[in-house]
Amino acid sequence: MNNLNLGRHISGQFNEDIEAIINHVMQMGGMIEQQLSDALTAVNNTDAELVKKVIATDDKINQYEVDIDDECTRIIAKRQPAAGDLRLIMSISKSVADLERIGDDAERIAKVALESFTAKQQDLLVNLDHLGRHVLAMLQTTLDALARMDIESAITTHKNDEKIDRAYEALLRQLMTYMMEDPRSIPQIMTVIWSARALERIGDRCQNICENIIYYVKGKIARHLSADEINNL
Amino acid sequence: MISVTPKPLTSQQTIRDLSTLTPDQVALKIQNLNLSYGDKQALHNISMLIPKGQVTAFIGPSGCGKSTLLRCINRMNDLVDDCHIDGEIILHDENIYSKHVDVAMLRRKVGMVFQRPNPFPKTIYENVIYGLRLIGEKNRRVLDEAVETSLKSAALWNEVKDRLHESALGLSGGQQQRLVIARAIAVQPEVLLLDEPTSALDPISTLTIEELINDLKEQFTVVIVTHNMQQAARVSDQTAFMYMGDLIEYSDTNTLFTTPAKKKTEDYITGRYG
Repeated sequence: MNNLNLGRHISGQFNEDIEAIINHVMQMGGMIEQQLSDALTAVNNTDAELVKKVIATDDKINQYEVDIDDECTRIIAKRQPAAGDLRLIMSISKSVADLERIGDDAERIAKVALESFTAKQQDLLVNLDHLGRHVLAMLQTTLDALARMDIESAITTHKNDEKIDRAYEALLRQLMTYMMEDPRSIPQIMTVIWSARALERIGDRCQNICENIIYYVKGKIARHLSADEINNL
Repeated sequence: MISVTPKPLTSQQTIRDLSTLTPDQVALKIQNLNLSYGDKQALHNISMLIPKGQVTAFIGPSGCGKSTLLRCINRMNDLVDDCHIDGEIILHDENIYSKHVDVAMLRRKVGMVFQRPNPFPKTIYENVIYGLRLIGEKNRRVLDEAVETSLKSAALWNEVKDRLHESALGLSGGQQQRLVIARAIAVQPEVLLLDEPTSALDPISTLTIEELINDLKEQFTVVIVTHNMQQAARVSDQTAFMYMGDLIEYSDTNTLFTTPAKKKTEDYITGRYG
C-alpha cells in the first residue's frame, strides 16, 4: 500500500522540493543495494577489482547523505513543515543516516575479499554469503517499503530481523568451533566475524528505517518496542 | 534516585486529553453554540472546554468562524444586527447569554485585544487606567500602581516609564499593541481574547508579543485567533481547527501539529488543497 502523500501543496515549489528529496533517497537506496550485492559477490569470487569499486562508490553515498540532510534542513528552515510533512522530513533525515552506515558496513564486508583464505576456510565464506543474501533481501524489502511508505511491509520486515539475528548467532557458534579446532586460523576467522557482525548491524539499521516508516505513517514511535507492541500501535 | 521520565522541553503543561479536565481547571465551557447572521449559519453546534491558565488558539481559513467564535466569548456579536445565537458559554457556572448578565461586567472579566492596535488619543498613563476610571476608581495610588503592574505585565514598562504622560500615539505599532494589552489587563480580567494580535506587526514585535502571551497565561486564560499557523504552534497549549463554521479538531498543540487526527486538519496545516 502506498502511503506516500507528497503532492497537492498549494506551493508547487514545496511539492517539487519534497519530490526531489524522495528521488535522491531512492537513488541513494539503489546505490546501497548495489553496494551490498557487490560486496557479497566480491567476497564470494575474491574479486579485488570489485572491492575497489565498492570502496570508491562509498564516497558518493556519503555525499548523498550530506546533500539529503542539507535539503531536509533547508525545507525545515524555509517551509516549517507540519504534521505528515514534518514526519516525512524527520523520517528521511534519520533514514539517510542509517543508509549511510549500511554503506560503510558494505565496504567493511567487501574488504574481506582482500584477505587470503585457505581452501578449507572457504566454507566459512559460503556461510557468510548465506547470511549476506538474507540481509540483502531484507534491505531490498526495506527500501521498497520506504519508497512507498508501506507500513504493512515495514512491520513484516521489522519482524524479519529476528531471523537474521538467529542466523548470525548460529554462524558465530560455528566460527568459534573453528577457532578452537585450529587456533592458527583465528586472524582470518576474526575477519569473518567482523563482517558477519556488519551484516547483523545492517539488519538492525533496516529495522530503524522500518521504525521511521511506521512513525511517518502512524505518527507513533516504534523504537524500543517488541514486535507485538508494534503490531498494536 | 534518577528519574527515567525526561522533563518536558518547555515549561508548558500539556493536557493530552481535554475530556479529563476537572471543573476547576476549566475557564470556559462552550456548549452547543450555534450562530447565524440572518439566514447564514456561521457556527454549527460548537462544544468545547477552554482550560484555565493556558493559551488556546483558534486556527482555520478566512471565514471559518474563528473570530466569530472568539467574539461570542465576550458578546461582541450582540452589536451585530441580525445575529442570532443559541447554545451556552459558561463562565463561573453561569451562561454568559442568560438575561440577567451585565454585559459591561462580562467584558471586564473577558478582555479583548484586536488586530490593529487601537490606543485612545490620550497619554500612555490615561490609556492604561481608562477601564479603572470607568468603574469609578479615583485613588491616585491605586491608579499609579495599576499602571506600573499592567505595563510591567505587558513588557512595556521599561520602554515607557519615563514618558507615561506623553501621547500613546507616539509609540511604535508593537508598543501600541502591548499598551492595548496593558489596558485590557489593568482591570484584572480572567480571560483575555486576542484577535490576530500580531497581524499588523513586524516579526520582532510579533516575537515580543508572543513572549508576552506566554507570560500572561500565568495570570490569565488566553484565547487567541491567528492566521499564522506557526504562531499558533509556538504560543498555544491547545489548538482548535475550524472549517466552514464547524469545529473540526481540538486537541493539544503538540499533537495537532505533529499527528492531527483528521485529514482536513492535516491538509490545512500542511498547506494542501482541501
